[in-house]
Amino acid sequence: MSERVETQVPGNMWKVLVKAGDIVKAGDTLFIMEVMKTEVPHVAGIDGTVTDVRITEGEEGLEAGIVAVVIA
Amino acid sequence: MIDVIIAGLETSVQDYPGRIGFWNQGFPPSGPFDSWSFRLANLLVGNAVGAAGLECQYMGPTLRFAEAAVIAVTGADMTPTLDGTPVPLWQSIPVTAGQVLKMGPAKSGTRAYVAIAGGIDTAPWLGSRSTFHKAGVGGLSGSALKKDSRIPVAYTAGTPGRSVKPECRPAFSTTKQWQIEVVPGPDDDWIDAAGQERFLTSDWKLSGKSDRTGFRLDGPQWTFTSKAYDKRPENGSEPSNIIDHGYPLGAINLAGQTPIILVSDGPSMGGFINPYTVPSAAFWKLGQSRPGDIYRFKAVSVDEAQALRRQQDALCSEASIV
Repeated sequence: MSERVETQVPGNMWKVLVKAGDIVKAGDTLFIMEVMKTEVPHVAGIDGTVTDVRITEGEEGLEAGIVAVVIA
Repeated sequence: MIDVIIAGLETSVQDYPGRIGFWNQGFPPSGPFDSWSFRLANLLVGNAVGAAGLECQYMGPTLRFAEAAVIAVTGADMTPTLDGTPVPLWQSIPVTAGQVLKMGPAKSGTRAYVAIAGGIDTAPWLGSRSTFHKAGVGGLSGSALKKDSRIPVAYTAGTPGRSVKPECRPAFSTTKQWQIEVVPGPDDDWIDAAGQERFLTSDWKLSGKSDRTGFRLDGPQWTFTSKAYDKRPENGSEPSNIIDHGYPLGAINLAGQTPIILVSDGPSMGGFINPYTVPSAAFWKLGQSRPGDIYRFKAVSVDEAQALRRQQDALCSEASIV
């Protein structure tokens, strides 16, 4: 099983909480976006290991629907 | 009652035209950002255009209907489903007791509207059910929906299968570019000719730090007339400072060098100049755009702005429904 976690909203990348190699459980917060001055946490849908982090903390003007984190 | 399973991002109860008549005491109108889509949703389910419904922003809610109802979803496409079956937008549909409406991230547009036949029946505050969460008034206990909130509805019989004629719906930009009308003033005489030219011919990017209070824009520098410099010290030290004065709704408020459009939940006064004002007829475009989108501003007269508003009001009528 693997999961490609996509950005759910357009906006800024406020916090990135994982790095490649981290072991995560379903429900763990992977990164937090900011839009409308509101935090939008994005969580893992499956248990697994983070194999790729394609976003950087502080990035601005990200689109919705881009692959941000890959879990395998 | 409607039970909130997932609240979405700042989903709120709004009515139209909102809390009118208290701007002089600091209360903004609130109300739906895209009142065009909102009013059409109400017409679909047989409500008066202003009845209270839901405004969903960026990520929609998941709702369980405790009773049978007729509903309509308009505005942004949040790929709504009812017990897993896709829900057509811009159309009234029947819901049976216990069914779950699930809405996701906005695919096109930014704000979706849900109307329920009979309307949401929360207690009005200063004559409106619109949520103004900064003051904690209106809507559901003065705030956005929360998980496990229960939304009261004054159910009436609606008619399923009604839809909005395609040509009567607002057309959302698919290119990330929007042309937004502006009326010059009230403080356009503080901006020099080069600055006015620059404002009307430059791309302005909508910042992620934008919400129902203000829409921040990134773009070129502003330049000023002597009015901004040859002024009494009580005006303040920045060129864009002025003695505190009232702000028009839709004002493009110049905070230093950063323009912020003051929108539905915005402040009524302050100490910055407002060189331009976005008329109400263009608010739906602000409400359906998203961070990173580009605005180009087009100057219109007060008469032209009023004509646009009348055209839009005319489209928010039974004649647009089939």
